[in-house]
Amino acid sequence: MKAREIAAVVRESDDGGAVHVTSPEVGFFRAHVAVGDLVRPGLLVGELETLGLISRVVAPPGARGVVTAVAAPGAAVDFGALLLALDPNGALAAGEAAAAPAHVADTAGGLVFRAPTSGRFYVRASPDKPAFVETGSELAAGTTICLLEVMKTFNRVTYAATGGLPERARVVAVLVADGADVSAGDALLALA
Amino acid sequence: MAPPLFHRILIANRGEVAVRVARGCDALGITPVFAASEADRDAAYLQGREVVVLGPGRAALSYLDPMRVVQAAVQTRCSALHPGWGFLSENPLLATLCAQHGVTFIGPPPHVTALMSSKTKAKAAMRAAGLAVIPGSDGVLADAADARRVAAEVGFPVLFKAENGGGGRGMRVARSAAEVDTAYAEAQAEARAAFGGDRVYLEKLIEGGRHVEIQIFGDKYGHAVHLGERDCTVQRNHQKLVEESPSPALSPEQRAAACEAAARAAAKIGYVGAGTMEMLLDRGDAPAGSGAAGRRGSIDRGDAPAGSGAAGRRGSIDPGGTLRFMEMNCRLQVEHTVSEARSGKDLVQAQIAVAAGRPLPWTQAELVLAGHALECRINAEDPAAGFAPAPGTITAWTPPTGDGVRVDTHVTAGYVVPPFYDSLIAKVITYADTRAAAIAKMIAALEAFGVAGVPTTIPMHLAILRSPAFQTGAYDTRAIPGWPPQPRFV
Repeated sequence: MKAREIAAVVRESDDGGAVHVTSPEVGFFRAHVAVGDLVRPGLLVGELETLGLISRVVAPPGARGVVTAVAAPGAAVDFGALLLALDPNGALAAGEAAAAPAHVADTAGGLVFRAPTSGRFYVRASPDKPAFVETGSELAAGTTICLLEVMKTFNRVTYAATGGLPERARVVAVLVADGADVSAGDALLALA
Repeated sequence: MAPPLFHRILIANRGEVAVRVARGCDALGITPVFAASEADRDAAYLQGREVVVLGPGRAALSYLDPMRVVQAAVQTRCSALHPGWGFLSENPLLATLCAQHGVTFIGPPPHVTALMSSKTKAKAAMRAAGLAVIPGSDGVLADAADARRVAAEVGFPVLFKAENGGGGRGMRVARSAAEVDTAYAEAQAEARAAFGGDRVYLEKLIEGGRHVEIQIFGDKYGHAVHLGERDCTVQRNHQKLVEESPSPALSPEQRAAACEAAARAAAKIGYVGAGTMEMLLDRGDAPAGSGAAGRRGSIDRGDAPAGSGAAGRRGSIDPGGTLRFMEMNCRLQVEHTVSEARSGKDLVQAQIAVAAGRPLPWTQAELVLAGHALECRINAEDPAAGFAPAPGTITAWTPPTGDGVRVDTHVTAGYVVPPFYDSLIAKVITYADTRAAAIAKMIAALEAFGVAGVPTTIPMHLAILRSPAFQTGAYDTRAIPGWPPQPRFV
């Protein structure tokens, strides 16, 4: 039996700076995203267990940003309880989430640029050089996105309109921290 | 040794009943946890209380969702759940889910509730237990031909009712054989739309009766007692307005026989906790005119010793009418306060004790019903504007106090009456030695009740209480005594 899908509820935080993704029902919540992950509408963010039944919780319209806080695993949540706090300005570039895992659990509905191979992700050619891409960068065929270090070899990764990606795209968020290890198929950039 | 009581109880309800149940928990040293909707979470009655938010204001997504309610009990570590009244209180699914997840449901076992929610099965069970029932079809009608045959046997007028119905829907009257086919088909159609099934049965229509109900109470060991009757004849659209005990329309013999039969019936079906047998006191063969009503009024003496009037009603044919079982409410009732006033017992605390597996806290002999109690339901409605519900902010609130005056409410000044739920904002209960004294006390209490911000039904209650019809007991379910106000001499 396929798990029921329910949409979380978005609320503005009291200070207005963050987006709060809150529980639509009552139950035990287990997040499928971690601090530093990018969340966008339609993304599976976790599951809610109610009397032993599991519902898939997806991000609703308006839930867009980088995760800054997550409810503890298995936390008992009621309606309106905080599941995730999001920074809508995509704070990865500021580096506070450098330890974040590179993996994004699901990307239903959003455009994502994925790693072509496994390797270590470098967003700049050397520490004193500017980043190849950052939030807001425009991408076209041939634009350099990053370097992937594979077996001591640096491979330049360039944008191409393949796999359903458009000719031109704009970077919404860089999903992987500089220097992180990624696997083939991992989401590197969120695009719009 | 008596089984221990619960440490934490989830209250799966709102407003006045939630406050009432919490008071019982507090008295027993039990922590109440309130399951509330978002619309109620900031209400003053929840301040300083443990609250779990079920969902948004709309009841279907909060108070009426059994999954959310039981999960709320599980995750707040409540070992029992009190459903209050209304909402899911008589939904066998809630009791069943509780059992599946280790939460004690404070109420009867689900198979009893299911039996009683099937109207013809409930009637059969009560007839077998010795209660009179309203004459009608023996179970669900097979088809229109069956409806015509049974209607002719029972005698017109007849009432078609939905087997799983309630709230006055799925009911149609046929006053002659010519009306049967249409009434039967319409009742079926409405039942199909409202209750998801077109099973319909038939009863003789009893017009101008009195609504009398009997409070019963059972435990898990097959014991059951009664706490007397309540007369709820003053109604509007099947909504009770005034309740009182004892009924001014019953003779002591009728009262004793019906109450004992109700307790026996409750024990027989394995009833647990507080329940109510709703009955209709028919008018015997008396015509519907004012003469009969006036005569009944003149002999209404409550618990007074049987005088000439009551003596005349003895015998096989009782001109005072017969109490006939209508349906059973498998829960605490709004008007349980009336029975508490007369018995001096706390029904909520007893519900909790019995649910925890303790035997009945009282024997029948220990239950002494004394004096006269009256309850008026105060709703946020405008009686001068067709009882339009009036959500809004209550700006001033000074409930009456005094000896023999009880006010059950969740409201304080500043309370916002939400638009999602019923309009009950308070119940005023008065208690005195006699009916006349209880009425006088209620009039004084309602005159002293200060409410501003929303219209209430207080003016209607005052008109009822001051009317000669109410004071003499000469009224029935067809009209509200004293309302609407009649113009006096011009």
